[in-house]
Amino acid sequence: MLSIKELRVSIEQKSILNGLNLEIGSGEVHAIMGPNGSGKSTLSQVLAGREDYLVSGGEVLFDGLDLLALETEERAHAGLFLGMQYPVELPGVNNMTFIRESLNALRRARGEPELDAADFLRRVREQAQLVGLDQALLKRGVNEGFSGGEKKRNEILQMAMLQPKLAILDETDSGLDIDALRVIAGGVNGLRAADRSIIVITHYQRLLDYIEPDRVHVLVGGRIVRSGDKQLALELEQRGYGWLDEAAA
Amino acid sequence: MITAAQQSDWLLHHLSQSAGNLPGRGLAWLENLRREAARSVAQLPVLNRKQESWRYTSIDSLLQQRFITAGADIGGLENLDISRWMLPGLDAYRLVLVNGRCLPSPASSADLPEGVVLGSLRTALATDPDRLSAWFVRNSGRSDNLFTALNSALINDGALLHVGTDVVLDKPIEILHLHLGHERPLLVQPRNLLVLEPGSGVTLVERAIGADSSAAFHNHLTEIYLSAGASLDHYRLQDENQRSHHLCTLFLSQQEQSRYRGTHLSFGGVWARTDCHALLQQPGGECEINGLYTVGDEQLKDIHLRVHHAAPRCTSRERFKGILHGEGRAVFDGHIIVDRGAQGSDAQLRNDNLMLTRSAEVDTKPQLEIYADDVKCSHGTTVGEVDPAQLFYLRSRGIDKAQALSMLSLGFAAEISNGIRLNALRSYLAQRLARKLGGQTDASGMDSGNV
Ligand SMILES: Nc1ncnc2c1ncn2[C@@H]1O[C@H](COP(=O)(O)OP(=O)(O)OP(=O)(O)O)[C@@H](O)[C@H]1O
Ligand SMILES: [Mg+2]
Repeated sequence: MLSIKELRVSIEQKSILNGLNLEIGSGEVHAIMGPNGSGKSTLSQVLAGREDYLVSGGEVLFDGLDLLALETEERAHAGLFLGMQYPVELPGVNNMTFIRESLNALRRARGEPELDAADFLRRVREQAQLVGLDQALLKRGVNEGFSGGEKKRNEILQMAMLQPKLAILDETDSGLDIDALRVIAGGVNGLRAADRSIIVITHYQRLLDYIEPDRVHVLVGGRIVRSGDKQLALELEQRGYGWLDEAAA
Repeated sequence: MITAAQQSDWLLHHLSQSAGNLPGRGLAWLENLRREAARSVAQLPVLNRKQESWRYTSIDSLLQQRFITAGADIGGLENLDISRWMLPGLDAYRLVLVNGRCLPSPASSADLPEGVVLGSLRTALATDPDRLSAWFVRNSGRSDNLFTALNSALINDGALLHVGTDVVLDKPIEILHLHLGHERPLLVQPRNLLVLEPGSGVTLVERAIGADSSAAFHNHLTEIYLSAGASLDHYRLQDENQRSHHLCTLFLSQQEQSRYRGTHLSFGGVWARTDCHALLQQPGGECEINGLYTVGDEQLKDIHLRVHHAAPRCTSRERFKGILHGEGRAVFDGHIIVDRGAQGSDAQLRNDNLMLTRSAEVDTKPQLEIYADDVKCSHGTTVGEVDPAQLFYLRSRGIDKAQALSMLSLGFAAEISNGIRLNALRSYLAQRLARKLGGQTDASGMDSGNV
């Protein structure tokens, strides 16, 4: 599904990813953990096509496509979804319109007809209910004045509506109450399928109690320094990251 | 550069070729008004960029053209099918002007409530000149620049609306200003007069649109008189074709406790200028003027507001938003004047601009001129670009760049568009904006009230 080889990324002459390798198979759920500033969000933004970063080396194959050669929107058309660590506000852009336009853009790209308005409405309301997003927030500007948790629920709603092949969730669990954590886990687990893959970036073992990852990776200094099964997350919880630095050095 | 002599020549040419065939001969007040204005045309200093309100505005492209005066004859237009220019989905009383001349009333205004006159100024000059003289004398004679003088010197026809005491209309009124082709560019000069008697209330939609691709210079002059307690919700949509010039001068005077709520939407034309003079003449008046303009290649939008607090305890709110793309240029000049006696005035002025390209340009200049001490006044302007993080967010959801920019622009405009109380106009605007800004968004969901 996703194959990252020797990825090097910098911003403003500061190198952030230093030869990162990662393989994710179809149907797998991977967790990426790592200290603050280690490059987790950078990785996810570069994969999604944020233009501010300079990719100075490496390659990324997504479903056989040269991902880095695609425009941001083409990556979404190909089935990539990024749940952002800090979802931005789009004042005055109606949330419902936004989700409908996204969905229709993906459908157009796949050569499918746009979704009928009534169908869409039914689906978005249903999904909003499932992720516990107040229906009133569908009518507001995208994330405009949403609380931190509401923004994250809105990301999960979009993921559920867009049904991506590869979802990257960048700290979608940060700042959430316990109920919301279950909601997110429910969203992710609901998406699990043989032809989908999911990357969850998190600082907390707790999310992984609900979403059992197939693999856990530790990103330090712009590289994956260790990979393991879910036991690795438990170990990190107890020991922190310090011991890995030494191991990596 | 057009010289002063060429400018005078241009004005005198248009003055003389048009003066022959005007209505209301023998009405002394009207003849006076025209004569005074014609004298002003000859005497007023020529417009140039040393004058503050013309500083950023070149009118050379206008003065290089010769126009023929429209409106001498509207024969053959009685059977014009206007339905395709009406605002879709708006149930309204209507008046249609073609090339500055009113068409005989369409059926929809036949059932106007008692106490309401909606029709042709020219007709009223024949049937009810005394009443007209009272309104004109009360309010007119402000030929303060060459274009207003040119309009006054050639008063011929225009929209007339009179709403009697305590009459509140059940439906909005739509006034359509169309221009229809001639081989030569047309000079279109409607003279509009809106008089609301005490306690009356109206929602008015005015739309100025080119009905075809012919060139025209619209030199509209509209006078609005709001009596005590009257209320006008006034939408103006300017959307002529790219070959046309449009100038709308609006004189608004407000009596005690009256309310004006204007929404000025300006999209079309090569040059479109609004000169809005609001005079809060008596205590307790409320004046709110909202605006939205878009400018692209080879377009200049020119907004000039003068809000004059001449009486105590009046409120004014001006809020204009501009979306600039291509090599579009805009000028925003907002000026609030608070007289010494106008204590308790509350005035706010805002102008925000979204620049979609680096090559677009805006000159924005708010001014407060305050002579009273107990006032609340503020102004603010911003000029900003699209936030790359917002653009990335939309594109990461599969929305292409053009559509994303269009959606962000619509979002930027939402503060103004969501204030439009007519659903039909709101959805028309959303589609129009999306079309102009190049995205294919069906933005009917823009207004949260619709979903
Ligand atoms: N626009 C930028 N300009 C300069 N430095 C940047 C920029 N964006 C990111 N960085 C730097 O890149 C490094 C990696 O940041 P990144 O956001 O990827 O970390 P992270 O692993 O997601 O951290 P966290 O766990 O705190 O979310 C940090 O040192 C950060 O300061
Ligand atoms: Mg991060």
